[in-house]
Amino acid sequence: MLPPKIKFINVTKSYDSASKSDVILQDLNFEIYAEEFICILGPSGSGKTTILGLVAGFIKPSGGNVLFNSKNITRPDSSRTLVFQDYALFPWLNILDNVAFGLTTKNHKNNHAREKALEYLNMVELSAYKDHSVSQLSGGMKQRVAIARALAVDPEVLLLDEPFGALDLQSRESMQTELIRLMTKAKKTVLFVTHSVDEALKLADRILVIGGKPGKLLCDTTIAVARPRDLNSNQLISIRNKILDKLSQSDLFMGLNI
Amino acid sequence: MKIALIRVTFFATLFSVWYLIVKLGNIPSYILPAPLEVFYSFYYGFLKGGYTGAIFSSLLRVLTGYFMALSIGIMIGILLARYYLLDITFGKTILALQSIPSVAWVPLALLWFGITDSAVIFIIILEAVLPVALSTKNAMKNIPQNLIRAAQTLGSKGLHLYQNIIIKAMIPELVTGLRLSWAFAWRALIAGELFISGSGIGQTLELGRSLADMAQVIAMITTIGAIGFLTENIFFGSMERKVRVAWGLEGR
Repeated sequence: MLPPKIKFINVTKSYDSASKSDVILQDLNFEIYAEEFICILGPSGSGKTTILGLVAGFIKPSGGNVLFNSKNITRPDSSRTLVFQDYALFPWLNILDNVAFGLTTKNHKNNHAREKALEYLNMVELSAYKDHSVSQLSGGMKQRVAIARALAVDPEVLLLDEPFGALDLQSRESMQTELIRLMTKAKKTVLFVTHSVDEALKLADRILVIGGKPGKLLCDTTIAVARPRDLNSNQLISIRNKILDKLSQSDLFMGLNI
Repeated sequence: MKIALIRVTFFATLFSVWYLIVKLGNIPSYILPAPLEVFYSFYYGFLKGGYTGAIFSSLLRVLTGYFMALSIGIMIGILLARYYLLDITFGKTILALQSIPSVAWVPLALLWFGITDSAVIFIIILEAVLPVALSTKNAMKNIPQNLIRAAQTLGSKGLHLYQNIIIKAMIPELVTGLRLSWAFAWRALIAGELFISGSGIGQTLELGRSLADMAQVIAMITTIGAIGFLTENIFFGSMERKVRVAWGLEGR
């Protein structure tokens, strides 16, 4: 078997201030393999976003190691791109130039940046909007642009931080279908953070449930069901119950009302 | 069209009332000249007198002070954003300095530099440096972190990150600072010029006073207002709006 794409070894993250130390994540251990679609599931404040920050390279662990291709992650890099809940599109660039942005950086210096960006914009079916400004697009469209922008630099790992959290239910569902379609084609390793159990059940090859305070790995479940999935099938219902059970146990244990 | 008509009517009424007051009140022209006298003052001032030259020297003076203020202000702003200790000390002093009207600096400037251009430029810099310093500081502090992170994760770093993200994200707030600084510089220019020798709008205004030529005084006040309006509202105002639209902060 190939070595893991991402590996967390005894990872602890805490924010220290003068008066106290706030531990966000404690002794996290897991491995993620190439082309896996991972959902990181947990209540707000459980440190899910911190996990993405560590993989992206924005923050460093307080203890332990975060490995990418067996090397410590030291800084952000286009081999691991992140899609934000608030899209984080550059408002002064039009849609096409947003997608092309990564292709203008040193490592990707590409004379055909715009042409290549257009291909990716085509992939998310928004090429008709290439000359529009960011503010002219709806939330769902902005997120599709953000995903195209993240994929345009051909990353090994795609990180998504509650990407559909700000969308209405309908766009959310169509975006989930869209993401599944894109990922079957693009074959990336995906880390998708969500607090919705159903979203995780619909998307993931494997779900890592994070919970408690400080955040710990509560369970690691593989879902070997072909997509599109019927959330009411017996298999998925039993997985859902197992996850909810783990989450409520951790709440009970912590005496927290999440 | 309708608005234009209303405006024309308004000004026609204004000038008529002005004319009637002067005529019926028998007011001497050194107190209030008739509209036509002011018009003649403009006519001869631009045609034969030194109005054009005065405006040119004033603009040169204000632009010199303004651009020096911008370079100093942007540097101060960056330092304030970077160093907390500087911000809580010097940063707060700036706020106090901003409440001092430019004319209050005139005695100090005259003693330091004499009745020269340098005195005026000094006052302009003192006034104009503050708004741009504050807006630079705010612009730096308010760059959305996610935009920087998004750029980093796409592989942008160093100079590329500065040029394409950090500076771009600062522009809307900076433009507001540039406009405010210009407004301050313009007011400081006139205040300073009243006291110095040489050619300029303020000097021409002051000359009008000493010659009891009220038409010239009013002509210069009008000129100050017109240039101020054109630059602040038309030039900077439209630039600010264009930027805000392009940055998606305002609808088209």
